Amino acid sequence: MRILQIDKKDWSAGLEKSRKDYTLIGPVKEGNNVSKFKELAAGEEPDFSITTTTMSPKSVVFPQSEVMFTFTTDSASADCNIMKVPEKSYSPRAVIGIRPFDAVAMKIVKMNFDTPDYQDPYWCDAYAACTFIGLAITDPEACDFSTSTGTGPFDTSGLDVLLVDAGDYYLAEVVTDKGDSWIQSASFDQEADAESVEILHSMRKEAKKKIESTVEFANIDKKETLDLYNEKYWDSISFPCLNCGTCTYVCPTCWCFDIQDEMAHKNGRRMKNWDSCMFPNFTIHTTGHNPRNTKLMRVRQRFMHKLKYHQSKYNMGIMCVGCGRCVTSCPVNIDIREVCKQMNS
Amino acid sequence: MHTYIDKIREIASRLLKEEAVEMVIGYQEGTLPMISPPMSVRSAEDVEKLTWSSHCCINLANYLTDIKGKVAVFAKGCDCRSIVNHIAEGKVKREDVVIIGVPCNGMMERRTISNIFGDEIEEVVEEADGTVIVRGKGREEKYQKSDLLRQCCRVCVHKNPVLYDELVADPVAIPEDIQRYKEVEKIEAREIDKRWKFFENLISTCIRCYACRDACPTCYCPTCFVDEAQPQWVGKGDDEPDVMTFHILRAFHTAGRCTDCGACVSACPMGINMRAFTKKLEKDCLDLWDWEAGLTSDMRPALETFTPSDPEDNFK
Amino acid sequence: MLTHIGIEPERLQFSWISSAESTKFIDVVTEVVEAVRKVGPNTRLVKNMVREP
Repeated sequence: MRILQIDKKDWSAGLEKSRKDYTLIGPVKEGNNVSKFKELAAGEEPDFSITTTTMSPKSVVFPQSEVMFTFTTDSASADCNIMKVPEKSYSPRAVIGIRPFDAVAMKIVKMNFDTPDYQDPYWCDAYAACTFIGLAITDPEACDFSTSTGTGPFDTSGLDVLLVDAGDYYLAEVVTDKGDSWIQSASFDQEADAESVEILHSMRKEAKKKIESTVEFANIDKKETLDLYNEKYWDSISFPCLNCGTCTYVCPTCWCFDIQDEMAHKNGRRMKNWDSCMFPNFTIHTTGHNPRNTKLMRVRQRFMHKLKYHQSKYNMGIMCVGCGRCVTSCPVNIDIREVCKQMNS
Repeated sequence: MHTYIDKIREIASRLLKEEAVEMVIGYQEGTLPMISPPMSVRSAEDVEKLTWSSHCCINLANYLTDIKGKVAVFAKGCDCRSIVNHIAEGKVKREDVVIIGVPCNGMMERRTISNIFGDEIEEVVEEADGTVIVRGKGREEKYQKSDLLRQCCRVCVHKNPVLYDELVADPVAIPEDIQRYKEVEKIEAREIDKRWKFFENLISTCIRCYACRDACPTCYCPTCFVDEAQPQWVGKGDDEPDVMTFHILRAFHTAGRCTDCGACVSACPMGINMRAFTKKLEKDCLDLWDWEAGLTSDMRPALETFTPSDPEDNFK
Repeated sequence: MLTHIGIEPERLQFSWISSAESTKFIDVVTEVVEAVRKVGPNTRLVKNMVREP
């Protein structure tokens, strides 16, 4: 593992250079202070002033809507009833400025899309194409509780490179070979001196200390699932809920999708669209029966999945990286930290 | 504000103690600054959790739809009109709901204040003289509340509850110089292509979480048209025509029923001003049929009635 | 509202035609067709997959 020093004067030139080998993706602001990860047009740079983008970068590998294949039912066509995967580019993508917790979230989502038995080719191919050039969080937001979910502002476990903004220059901790390839493509080659490395370590400590928001969940695992399920507090937690899909859509670890066929005349396509356990349609059966037919059930399901079932199934902690997006985006301020506290007590 | 809170708790406590209602619906303190989420209180001991602020943006009429038992609800002018609309449409029985009217001087949205302040906000304090102090990390700014109000509150002419069992405070004054439809007129003045571009741009960040629909008291269809599978009226992906169809149709469904409470905009995680759709319909209802939603429960909303004197200027 | 959001007014026409007014029906339909033809194929609210044959 090596650590490089990148002068901010050289940053843009390096980024541009890496474009010959990589499609660049990064955080950008849209109108209304809404931000998300998007492909960066020529000359466009990732906006490092955004700490937590409104939308998580999960869409880089898991777009909100994706065409899986197209087909025609036109018997006059030679392609009749043949399913065709549209041309997709899986050439290398560098995701510049992804925050450490979001990169960890990618690994959590991977557990769903990339299993020993089944692999979702669309997700896996997109993920494999990505090099994650993370940006350490030096100034955490109030809703960031990532240190207690097992990630933290400088966590490198999901990253290929970790950038740290040290004023006039970035320190780049190269984590993987994949990351090293991007560094070479951008021609960054100045090794950091011992003093800078020291700065990196002290900044790491400093940033961790700045995160004041925490959650505790150790007891949740010990509790009986049914006891948690039957708790009275679900009533008050779910009362204000609108049952919109905001929390699930902004969440970097929510992976649910729905498959839809769209037809126009004799041509059709099969789509994979984000879905949400907050929607009644998520669980409705063709018989009309809906096993999760109340708001309370749906709210409970989301938190039980995040904080209980995930740990029970994988034994890898909770399915939450502490980014705080659902807390800040929820129209009625349902706060996962408070829910966690109640479940843990 | 504090007098409001005291009075709110007093009324809630009395109603619960007297067992006049089973539940009181109001607002609670949020875990973040600038948000007061809805809550329900069932026992008099819990009334201390109830609060009031200038961030009670969600319309509580939304929580009354098809509710069982007798409930009390705190209602601003707009919430109140939505309740009247509920009564007119048979979603709530007048005798099942105790309406505690709250005269309102307008609400402030988290997003607006954050956008103006710039940095992350730690605390917002509202002074009695109409100034608002916003504190962030190492910075403090003073604003006039009138500059931070939601757009719908700025053009509101129904600040006082129209139907209530008791009031929390005396009615507030309504300024006379309010230009209710300036926003609509600005759009109307544009050329057709520019208008399309405006609306295309407006919905470009929509993620179809349906928070606008779910926060809307008039959106109570058992199955929303976007959720219908047979027939499927609209695609579920992020294609612009599908997203636009959702917004247009949702707006149409609220025509003559929307009270411009702004809950849709306040709920939107992407800050989309979908009032640009609904405000035009409100204006049309007023211009064409002299109709304003939620002022009387004796009449059906504008688009549900017909009289021979209705204008037919658009008919050939 | 459809014209407000930018759908060309030529595409939106309303008429009262009684079942006895066959000639009015023909006239109106002809007018509508001509008006729509003048503004050309619709691109607004039309999905790409439908637009491309």
